[in-house]
Amino acid sequence: MTRNARLDAIAGSDVVTFRLGDEVLAVPAAELREVLEPVAITRVPGADDFVSGLLNVRGAVVPLADLRVPLRMPRPAHRADPRILVLELPLAGQVAVVGIVADSVHEVTRLDRGSLQAIPPVGTRWPPRHVAAVGRWAGEFVTIPDLPAIFAEFLSGQNGRPAPAGTSGAAHPTEPEPFGCD
Amino acid sequence: MPSNILVVDDSPSVRNMIANTLKAAGYAVDTAVDGEDALEVSRRRPVHAVITDQNMPRLDGLGFCRAFRARPENRGVPVVFLSTESEASVKEKARQAGAIGWMIKPFDQQKLLDVIGRVVRA
Amino acid sequence: MTDPDAMTMFRAEAEALVDSLQDRLLALKAAPGDRALIDSVFRDLHTLKGTGAMFGRADIAGFLHDFESAFEAVRDGSATVDTELVTISLAARDHVAALLDGADGDGQAILDRLATRLGAPATGGARTSSRRIRFFMPPDTLALGGRPDFVLDELRRLGARNIRALTGEVPPLPELDPLQLHLGWEADIDTAVTEEQIRAAFLFHEDGLRLEIGTPGSAPIAPEPAEAEPVAAAAAPPTGSSSGALMRVPAERLDDIMDRVGELVIAEARLVELAARLAEPGLIAVAEDIQRLTTAMRDTTMSIRMTPIRAITGRFRRLAHDLTEATGKPISFVAEGEETELDKTVVERLTEPLMHIIRNAADHGLEATETRRAMGKPEVGHIRLSARHAGAEVLISLSDDGRGLDRDAIRARARERGLPGTADLPDDAIPTLIFEPGFSTATEVTELSGRGVGMDVVRRTIDSLRGSIEVDSEPGHGTTVTLRLPLTLAIIDGLLIEVAGERFVIPLAAVEEIVELPAAIAECETGNAFLDIRDSLVPFLRLRHLLQSPGTPGPHQKVVVVTSSDGHVGLVVDRIIGSNQTVIKQLSPLHAALKAFSGATILGDGSVALILDVPQLVARGRADADTGQEAA
Repeated sequence: MTRNARLDAIAGSDVVTFRLGDEVLAVPAAELREVLEPVAITRVPGADDFVSGLLNVRGAVVPLADLRVPLRMPRPAHRADPRILVLELPLAGQVAVVGIVADSVHEVTRLDRGSLQAIPPVGTRWPPRHVAAVGRWAGEFVTIPDLPAIFAEFLSGQNGRPAPAGTSGAAHPTEPEPFGCD
Repeated sequence: MPSNILVVDDSPSVRNMIANTLKAAGYAVDTAVDGEDALEVSRRRPVHAVITDQNMPRLDGLGFCRAFRARPENRGVPVVFLSTESEASVKEKARQAGAIGWMIKPFDQQKLLDVIGRVVRA
Repeated sequence: MTDPDAMTMFRAEAEALVDSLQDRLLALKAAPGDRALIDSVFRDLHTLKGTGAMFGRADIAGFLHDFESAFEAVRDGSATVDTELVTISLAARDHVAALLDGADGDGQAILDRLATRLGAPATGGARTSSRRIRFFMPPDTLALGGRPDFVLDELRRLGARNIRALTGEVPPLPELDPLQLHLGWEADIDTAVTEEQIRAAFLFHEDGLRLEIGTPGSAPIAPEPAEAEPVAAAAAPPTGSSSGALMRVPAERLDDIMDRVGELVIAEARLVELAARLAEPGLIAVAEDIQRLTTAMRDTTMSIRMTPIRAITGRFRRLAHDLTEATGKPISFVAEGEETELDKTVVERLTEPLMHIIRNAADHGLEATETRRAMGKPEVGHIRLSARHAGAEVLISLSDDGRGLDRDAIRARARERGLPGTADLPDDAIPTLIFEPGFSTATEVTELSGRGVGMDVVRRTIDSLRGSIEVDSEPGHGTTVTLRLPLTLAIIDGLLIEVAGERFVIPLAAVEEIVELPAAIAECETGNAFLDIRDSLVPFLRLRHLLQSPGTPGPHQKVVVVTSSDGHVGLVVDRIIGSNQTVIKQLSPLHAALKAFSGATILGDGSVALILDVPQLVARGRADADTGQEAA
């Protein structure tokens, strides 16, 4: 899909805005399954910071992702009562359920096409390939991360890692960050 | 030109699964998120068959089916409902609204192709 | 499952049937009068025709229908089997294989040869007992988008003949509404086709359908007297409805049941926890009942899913037969422990890797006949598959008595390919390198091994099943590849433990015993890596380290001694919580790279706990123990 087509698609449909750190982000409402109140998160030893937890969503074990990692945002501890957006995303060719952390969730809205633009390839701190568009909402900038691209890149980074020779492989300390700088 | 099937369901995963299955079997596929959307989509491009869910926001499957049937160009275009077993009464209404039949959820991909193959060929 | 997978499964199934057909035709050459064989040829033809039609392959279904019809003369005894007939039939079988591969052609020449040989019409000549059906579909069929032509196609696939439109109900032209259906049809269908199959052709048109199914002999074409006997129907039951005692169910339903049982187990854990907390005797009694029922339900469901390896060994026999032809090396294939059961998903996914290992053994392992003779080995090369249980794992070994692996060549190749860390590998670890990605190259893929599957794909499949591969090879004497696989992918008995306030599950089947961690060892974080348990030294791992847990341990740490088929390892934990039924949930692809965990589960309080992968931990423990000894 061309950038413009993607912008049109975003502008034409509902998005859910939420706050993460100092930023306002948005994801397509069609991908959102539910918003969870704070729940118990299980730490996954050895996992990448991007997906360091698991949670129970109605009997399913769902990975929890922190978008601050691919978006290179500072990562202080979350607010005391973070919300979790449960999304349905294409992952490795299948629709998968993943959770993403938000400090708070705002509202379902429609972003004005005029306010939307692709981010410039230089001069922003976002990795351009991880951001579908930026727009304006309630007087603030809102960033629409390209979630399929972010997860696809993470997965290919994992599969691309050379398999360790032999059979040892238990709980390796985290391998190099898959989201390195370009 | 492949037959064009309109898939109407508000669940992205169900929609996706059906659409991918049909595409892989050689059909062309349009998708819509609810009945309103489906009426809109079917105006843009002729469809040769419709698969629709019943419970959807804005306009449900029955409402869609009646409105769809009311348009003369849609005569003879088969509409297949997706339904859960508990909705037995819906089947009768679906028939009256102009649906040719229904498929019980859940179904697997082979079942889907088997059923669709009875109303339209790729 | 994505749709290409469905097509792949169809292809795999069809190819297996085509292979089986070939086998049986060849066997028929040796035993021309064998009724059972003739019937099984028919079953193959019929099943293949059915699946072909299901997957929209009318070309295959059509050809097979005619093939089947012509072959009818063999079944009714009016023609006998000889080499010529087998040869023509094999050509027909090859035509089907070619159609599967995407070739065109109606194969009429083959059908004509068959017809000439059998003295029967090649098409439409089936002479089984048949009955007449007659039907009228509801008048609004056309308005609703119904397609009577598709229904007729379905009936044709069932073998309907002499299809004729019935115009008796068509009104006078001035009254005719072109959108109303007034035509009916009649046709003749074999008695072997059940009423249920016929009714299934009318999907979507059941309401208001008028369908009459006549009795055998009602067909206008009088059947041969001998065949009008009910014997004809009895002698040739349609495939798929053969046994009353067994039931075929779609695999997805089993998966659904398993999912539900999984949720039931989780709900039961919550109930038991709640009952214990409320300490209400009545509630506790009910909770215990439900616990008992759930366990029984779980065991039954799992047993339904267990499939013997036998389900796939037939293909390996066939493969060995083919490989004998293709390589000119006589091969004997033996399977042991075929009754060993594994979860059906595991069995299905094992087929391709095992076939690849067998091909590889025949291709690269077994020497040419002259070489073997010169070496004083038996001329016939042996490939042996053996399966057995070992704890919570199943071991499947494939051994050949060929030349064995050349460790130096493998080491050199690995270096040349730039595989990491090969220089300092011990000799034992060298053979396993053949399963590394990038080890073999496309240029040396032979006709036999080259089905686009390298040994690294074997590795990937086994990895994805949470299994492991070991290779043992003795130069000049042969190679053994052993696959270790978990018994089940669904529910296990687990031991719930705690480390630094976090809970984890250890599969109970792997737990040997639980001991206190001696205070002397507990205090010394780095020293002695062994425990002395009844005079045997057991290496141990501190889970706190492995899991990068925060904080310092309390005074009473426990050691869970776990075992896999080749060793004991102690796992040091803070606390034992107890045993529980653990529903294994696969980790998402985002966490698939983590080897330390075989999955996750949901505990009674609704939180998620990770399940430790014991074989991985044992391997890790052994590796650490080895380095520890070297350092000492």
